[in-house]
Amino acid sequence: MQVPILSFVLWLPALGALLLLTVPRKSDELARRIALVVAVVTFLVSLTLPLRFVPESALGAGPVTMQFAETLPWLPSWGISYSLAIDGVSLWLVMLTTFLTPIVVLSTWDSVHKEVRNFQILLLLLTTAMLGVFMAQDLLLFYIFWEFTLIPMTFLIGIWGGSNRVYAARKFFLYTFAGSVLMLLAVIGLYVLHRESIAVSQPGYQGTLNFGAIVADLRSGAFVLETATERLLFGAFFLAFAIKVPLWPFHTWLPDAHVEAPTAGSVVLAGVLLKLGGYGMIRYCLTLFPEASRWAAPAIGVLAVIGIIYGAIVAFAQTDMKKLVAYSSVSHMGFIVLGIFALNSEGISGAIIQMINHGLSTGALFLIVGVLYERRHTREMAAYSGIWTVMPIYAGITLLVALSSAGLPGLNGFIGEFVIMQGAFLSPELGWPFLAFAVLGVVLAAIYLLKLYREVFMGEVNEASAGLPDLNQRELVTLVALCIPIVIIGLYPGFLFGPMQSSVAEVVNGLAPVIAGR
Amino acid sequence: MLNWLIWLIPLLPLLGFLLNVFVIRQERQAGLVASALVGGSFLLAVVATVMLGGMPEEERRVQAIAWEWIGTGTMSIPFGLLFDPLTSVMVLLVTGVGGLIHVYSLGYMHGDPRVVRYFAYLNLFVTMMLMLVMANNMLLLFLGWEGVGLCSFLLIGFWFERKVAAAAAVKAFVVNRIGDAAFLLAMLAIFSHFGTLTFYDVEVNGQIIPGFLEQVPNLLGQTFGPEWQTIAVATGISFLLLIGATGKSAQFPLFVWLPDAMAGPTPVSALIHAATMVTAGVYMMARTEPIFVASPATQSWVAWIGVLTALIAGTAALAQWDIKRVLAYSTVSQLGFMVAACGMGAYAAAIFHLLTHGIFKALLFLGSGSVIHGTHDTQDMRKMGGLRTAMPTTYWTYLVGAGALAGIVPLAGFWSKDEILAHAVSAGYWPQLIGLFIASLLTAFYMGRQVSLIFFGTQRDPHYHAHESGRAMTVPLVILAVGAAIAGLMNLPTLFSGMPAAHLLTDWLKPVLHEEAGKFNPLLALFATIGAVGMGYLGWSVYTRNAAKVKVGGQDPAYYYTGDIWDTLEAAWYVDTLYQRAVVGPFRTIGNFLAQVFDPQGIDGLVVGTGRFFGWVATGVRQLQSGYVRMYALVFTIGVVLVLSFMLMIAW
Repeated sequence: MQVPILSFVLWLPALGALLLLTVPRKSDELARRIALVVAVVTFLVSLTLPLRFVPESALGAGPVTMQFAETLPWLPSWGISYSLAIDGVSLWLVMLTTFLTPIVVLSTWDSVHKEVRNFQILLLLLTTAMLGVFMAQDLLLFYIFWEFTLIPMTFLIGIWGGSNRVYAARKFFLYTFAGSVLMLLAVIGLYVLHRESIAVSQPGYQGTLNFGAIVADLRSGAFVLETATERLLFGAFFLAFAIKVPLWPFHTWLPDAHVEAPTAGSVVLAGVLLKLGGYGMIRYCLTLFPEASRWAAPAIGVLAVIGIIYGAIVAFAQTDMKKLVAYSSVSHMGFIVLGIFALNSEGISGAIIQMINHGLSTGALFLIVGVLYERRHTREMAAYSGIWTVMPIYAGITLLVALSSAGLPGLNGFIGEFVIMQGAFLSPELGWPFLAFAVLGVVLAAIYLLKLYREVFMGEVNEASAGLPDLNQRELVTLVALCIPIVIIGLYPGFLFGPMQSSVAEVVNGLAPVIAGR
Repeated sequence: MLNWLIWLIPLLPLLGFLLNVFVIRQERQAGLVASALVGGSFLLAVVATVMLGGMPEEERRVQAIAWEWIGTGTMSIPFGLLFDPLTSVMVLLVTGVGGLIHVYSLGYMHGDPRVVRYFAYLNLFVTMMLMLVMANNMLLLFLGWEGVGLCSFLLIGFWFERKVAAAAAVKAFVVNRIGDAAFLLAMLAIFSHFGTLTFYDVEVNGQIIPGFLEQVPNLLGQTFGPEWQTIAVATGISFLLLIGATGKSAQFPLFVWLPDAMAGPTPVSALIHAATMVTAGVYMMARTEPIFVASPATQSWVAWIGVLTALIAGTAALAQWDIKRVLAYSTVSQLGFMVAACGMGAYAAAIFHLLTHGIFKALLFLGSGSVIHGTHDTQDMRKMGGLRTAMPTTYWTYLVGAGALAGIVPLAGFWSKDEILAHAVSAGYWPQLIGLFIASLLTAFYMGRQVSLIFFGTQRDPHYHAHESGRAMTVPLVILAVGAAIAGLMNLPTLFSGMPAAHLLTDWLKPVLHEEAGKFNPLLALFATIGAVGMGYLGWSVYTRNAAKVKVGGQDPAYYYTGDIWDTLEAAWYVDTLYQRAVVGPFRTIGNFLAQVFDPQGIDGLVVGTGRFFGWVATGVRQLQSGYVRMYALVFTIGVVLVLSFMLMIAW
């Protein structure tokens, strides 16, 4: 029998959380170390995934690109199963999650000082939930993991957050929960419609929530959705994802959540949690509802472009560094949505790679803000000046990360942005007018990031910042660990693009009939 | 062999960068390693050029692919280098002048606490500039393009403690980014129409990636846009590229960052903001020449932007007091000449002027750096005067540079400028010719003024003791002065029939630019020479006669003739002020409105309002849950009755 690698990767963090329950509540150091070991082991185990992932060329012409599949019956009478698999779309998102987790755990040494054990437990649970979202091949299983990500994150914000944490946590929970409730209805609706539709030809059919099975029936024509129904279901899924991404104008929970969340929480939130939305759009919206996706693409493109520009302008006007980074996320995620709804392989693969990039760069930016916050306990840019003089290594790393976020060629951010823009330019649904505006986001990104850099790092050192120590070893390790892929992806993104090609082509092939037929 | 040799050219300075960042911590080592590696690059470039020259003319194009940089969907963009005649001359300029400036920096930056970092940046700059001119596709060119922008940012802001330097660094990057955005759009459009971003056909892994420059004819007749106002695709693409060039090459309307960029160390101004980086726009236009030539509309814009820039910056240079700002505006003006030449179809002449300008403007900047160094960081020319006795080497070399810039026979600038003007005459660009001719008269005048203010009369500020600079600085000056004197030889026009070694450069560039050499125009040359000498003398004599009247806070002697126009010139026609008022200010206002009002109250207000509404409804529902069992029982009973009667009704 095959080793269930996915289950190992998925449940290792949760097992680690269980183990942590046995640790006495006050032994912070021990809890951190256990969490770190668990996170590192999870990452190492997950490394087998890209190593053993078979790119399409070896698979032959078959349409199956799901790999490492595992299925166990769960509620067979409803057609519900515990089924996991990954393809080129989810592979790198899984890797991003397992890669960021040890980094986040490391950062808790400096940023979390109370209830450390419980923090680690929640963090590890959150990791399992996020991995589950990327791996699940059953709609119910997906939904359960999706909702389960909310709970640990809400507590991370609500317990370890800043002064207004309870408000932010509640807003985060209610807002994203409201979006996903509609998705649950859509999942049920899809299940019922599918069962009824198949039952016509196969009386007594029990129905299934297996994603692959439903998609196969959709493509074969055995299961046909009426246009109006399809659009309605699409809307329900899309809203949940759009709130999570967040797409303008559903973004207002994000700045609150980020500002209140502890550094580690912000890194997970920006690094992985937002990606759930983008992933959902590719996996569920585009694949299940191709016609509706095409129908909605221009409107969504407009929202994405508004988000790109709006997020950037609002980021520029911030005085709080963390809020600036939070709004920059709104702008960057706009690019990702734009790429997804270009509905071609350039746009979608660009969006996937940009999700990775955003996770690395913005995660690093939140860590960077955290470094200063731990030293001075303020995030107001005006409180700082001339940090370059006192913390040169830190300043150098910050510059690299800021440039990556601003899309400097040679670093990762540019690759994603360029491929996305090329996809949108080529797309018959979007086209060059969208780009004429979206490209402003590139200019604005340089403006707000360099504004931050100039105010905080350049100029004379002010009194309060004089004598700040440069990065300690732990901070250095976490940031350098993020900088290495930033450079590598910038110069050799092929290792990311390669394995995702066949899976992206699969998504695009599913869209081809509706695009051709318009 | 050339295939791997050309990789070493950018890799050596990259190695220097890495060494200086991660290993070296000592000033002397840093400077020597950095200089030696760039020098090595120069030698390799010479070898490569000689080897290229040994090939048959039509085969002079070497491409070397390292790996596929971006490969997804229909995109395949290699990470590959190109070495052809156009690249070779650019590489020689970058590494040659760059090497000299590295050596000069050894003296100029001596004692600076961050000098190791300085050399690291300088090496990175050379690497990026080499990537720019050696890229075999637009995207890699863009990597170099933005990379040099980054180095420019780092080096302008090298003394980042100074607010002015920090602001100038950010301004340079941001203004360049505006041009870069247009460049990005151009690349997207190129890929969409040609399906490739490589310049010429190239073979990768047995597959031919087509080059778009060779397919430009396919574009003819293709248009896009709404039916009532279609735009030819070639015009659209080339116009976007033009905008990109106006950013990097400091052309109107995006030239405002270059004068501010003088806040960086002077060798940086010489290397980046005079000799190499700012010419990247001209190089790019020459490289993508087929697309520009395919669009007469864009060509006309290119020519006029060049002429306009030459005039605006030339007049602004008349009224500057800062020694480096004069040179900065002069650079902008000279870049205008090159751009105008491109617009008029004289790409080879543009490259010729680019090369000579790179030499003599580097000389002038390094000379000004020597002056600044020798006068203990004085940059205001009102505090100088009479320095020719204290700094003889600087003086003589500066004079050569000024003469070359002004276009005095037989110095380098005369020949390259004449080539551009002669082309305007022979191709019939009369209005442009008049504009450029006036600009060249202005050039001679402000150089005469500057030489007079710095070196003639008597020292107006007695607070410092002027001294000549050390060998590390004067030797590069002398080498560059020799270059500025003789660089015209590389492309002399045919002065008499049967003249050997005429228009070497134009012939060398022929495989790339396909241009025939222009004809020498004796009448024009005569006029230009009389004009240059006359205006140079006029500038010199006005300021030498009135040398005593020049003082800080006082008026320029020319103010008597120009009146308030002088203030306008000093502010460079208020273009920068206009941007501050019309763009920067409103942008801040909009940003603050969105961030403080619209987002928290508008969008979030709606969200929170919706939340409150449901909360309110929930509260209403909760009222019903009074906790009285009798009440629940009653409701339950009613419900049961209703359901039962409903079922009975159906069953009936």
